[in-house]
Amino acid sequence: MRLLELAIETSNETARPILDESSKREVRRAVLTAVAVPGYQVPFGSREMPVARGWGSGGLQITLAVIGDDDTVKVYDQGEDGGVNAANLRRLIRRSEEVETTTDARAATIIQTRHRVPEDELIEDQTLVLQVPVPEPLRGVERDMNELRRMHAEGDYAKMWVSLYEDIVRNGVITQTTGYPCLVNDRYVIATTPIPRWDVPRLHQAKFLSLFGAGREKRIYAIPPHTDVEPLTFTDVAFEVEAIASACRCGLIRPGGERAAYLVELPRQDGTSEWVCSDTDWCARQRVDAGLLDPTTLVETEVEL
Amino acid sequence: MNAPNEWALLVEGLGKVYGPGGAEAVPGTGPDFGRTVSPSTGAIVGCWDIDLEVVPGEALGVIGESGSGKSTVMRCIAGDQTATTGQARLRSVDDGATNLFDMEPSARRALRIDQLAVVYQDPSEGLDLGVSAGGNIADRLTAAGWRNFGQIRARAAELLARTEVPLDRMDDPVGTFSGGMRQRVQLAKALANRPSVLLLDEPTTGLDASVAAGVLDLIRDLLDETGVGAVVVSHDFNVIEMLTRRSVVMHHGRIVEQGLTDQLLEDPQHPYSQRLVGAARG
Amino acid sequence: MNSETLNSEALSSETLLSTRGLDKTFTLHAVDGRIIDGLQGIDLDVHVNEHLCLAGLSGAGKSSLLKCIHRTYASDRGAILYRTEANVVVDLLELADRDMADLREREIGYVSQFLRAEPRRGVLDVVTRRAVRMGVAHDEAADRAAEVLRRVNIDENLWATYPSLLSGGEKQRVNLAAGLVVAPRLVLLDEPVSALDPANRSAVLDVIADLTARGATVLSVFHDLGAIRQLADRVAVMSGGRIIDIGPAGPVLDRGMELIPT
Repeated sequence: MRLLELAIETSNETARPILDESSKREVRRAVLTAVAVPGYQVPFGSREMPVARGWGSGGLQITLAVIGDDDTVKVYDQGEDGGVNAANLRRLIRRSEEVETTTDARAATIIQTRHRVPEDELIEDQTLVLQVPVPEPLRGVERDMNELRRMHAEGDYAKMWVSLYEDIVRNGVITQTTGYPCLVNDRYVIATTPIPRWDVPRLHQAKFLSLFGAGREKRIYAIPPHTDVEPLTFTDVAFEVEAIASACRCGLIRPGGERAAYLVELPRQDGTSEWVCSDTDWCARQRVDAGLLDPTTLVETEVEL
Repeated sequence: MNAPNEWALLVEGLGKVYGPGGAEAVPGTGPDFGRTVSPSTGAIVGCWDIDLEVVPGEALGVIGESGSGKSTVMRCIAGDQTATTGQARLRSVDDGATNLFDMEPSARRALRIDQLAVVYQDPSEGLDLGVSAGGNIADRLTAAGWRNFGQIRARAAELLARTEVPLDRMDDPVGTFSGGMRQRVQLAKALANRPSVLLLDEPTTGLDASVAAGVLDLIRDLLDETGVGAVVVSHDFNVIEMLTRRSVVMHHGRIVEQGLTDQLLEDPQHPYSQRLVGAARG
Repeated sequence: MNSETLNSEALSSETLLSTRGLDKTFTLHAVDGRIIDGLQGIDLDVHVNEHLCLAGLSGAGKSSLLKCIHRTYASDRGAILYRTEANVVVDLLELADRDMADLREREIGYVSQFLRAEPRRGVLDVVTRRAVRMGVAHDEAADRAAEVLRRVNIDENLWATYPSLLSGGEKQRVNLAAGLVVAPRLVLLDEPVSALDPANRSAVLDVIADLTARGATVLSVFHDLGAIRQLADRVAVMSGGRIIDIGPAGPVLDRGMELIPT
């Protein structure tokens, strides 16, 4: 039935919505529950999406469900707007909902992302939609689903603490680099998706709303604006973000410099590597501001299929 | 001398029926009938009419063959199993006003952090064998709110030293430990947050005699030092004799005799107690 | 203990312990419920600070009486009145198990011929722990343990040895040392010198004699007439579970030699 409706809608209108209105409502209900209970993983009826599960289907459903006519959407993947996956998702969203898209995080009202929080400081009107592969922070320490539910319900996170303890004992430091476990609103522990530690402090008391969608695992959870997000750390072992070890090839971001950003390592042809800002659009704008780059090259060049 | 109401643990009318019928399953079972299977409902009456009282610093023995219901009693008190009827109270919980059996499951489980500790015969029930000795203790400490890594480590080391676990094994997974060493880690973990009551279920069964003797010595010392109230479940009279002053004898789910431990072992009164002691003492 | 407390006048002031009509039988359920007589109508007063020996042939009920008083045996009927250190008279048979256990730790000690000790503790440790359990601070307990071990002739080379590795006589002396390191008010001695050679026997008897000199009261069973003659203020002769004679040691022993082992 829904397929039929979709077919009719698609044929009658220029928009080709991926989700029908009732499906969107169901996702929005889950989102509202998630916002009401920060950090709690709300089950939802994850739909088949035109992307494979595990490739952003959860984030996509949230974006499609919460989007309005006047929204502007940015989609990026590991800091890059130009990646194939990000481009595909952006195109799907634009066709489905007929909304504006942008690469500038400051101009977007909805930012769907995998692996990063934009370097730009987001504000109250913005919503960050994170694609989550594994929503369960306790997955590594407990397999039994009933026991997992009990542990969350009772706030019994001793096993998570033990895993952090063991990590320090074995390695001298906490080695978990991405998806660092955080306590939200002093109640639920969440997995911060595979975002780097660099981005974790930026979720704490953030002005923006963060929505986490896991399509394969059928879970949605949220961090409302102005909510405490505390990485699980021992009081005498400080939480540390990744150190900037090298300079970005842009030359503006370097160790000890006044500007800071998360860098990633890129391999070169000759077998060596170089470090670049992970957030490519932000990096480009920094270069434009510094007179290092011609602003006209920033115009979105993506081809509409 | 202890005033009558100074108990650390009080159990009254504890009953556990596995299967249909509840209290209606009980008639026709017990030592007088020589069976635990209810003739009316087919349910198994694990234990019934169990009264126990332990004061701080005292160890109470529970003696009986396997199937006598002694482990059922322990597991109902511990909260591993749901009692069918009766009460269990800890002095340390609401000054004894709360029946543990009426508590929310979550609150009940929370008691295991720092009020009511259990040492099991099988260390894998009380320990995470994939986690280090220190990590197993850290589990209990972090559950109680400890968040300072250095303090957690120092306390874990102190407990392991006290239970005679070599500190150079502190960071090894418990699964690589011998049976006796695992029991020592279990004891260290159980006592981590200074519980008021300790339940010991066959704590040395399955260990080599010389290893068991060492663990027994340790338990005896820990009971003396900590002032914890203890219930010791064992079919081994040497264990009961070494650790307890008073004991109860269980048979077919009932307490058939109770008294001073040496009297139960030297001059048992109930026919079943006599048979049990006679068999063990040859 | 309130419910069991009796009027302190229930015992005359010179009496520490008094059994009244004490009966004990053994019911052997495994042998068709056969009943074996143990004690019959035992009325016995033990005076404060005396050494009273129970004499009689094997099977007369001497050890049974000690064990009934200690409540290692369950008596059938009667009463065992005891004046506590706090000058309260209690019936031991009516005491709650826990109160009896407390009384055993603080006032009434039973020393048998058999050693019961933690399996993997050295001799000195075993004796020291006993004193600690009776409320002595650890350092002092160790001093006292060393002193009593010397007095019962346990060579210092053996102090770190597990008791299970000792000879029968050594075990017996260690057991006595543990039982007496803190002298109970009432000492129940059950054949404490049965396995000793003459030299060690003499040392142990000196230690036992010292108990009453230090104010303790002793009720004992010896298989050895010399020990009885040396130690006893009074002797009670038992036969067939009854007391058939009691009085000052010399006259009683002279009257009833045939009922007393030599």
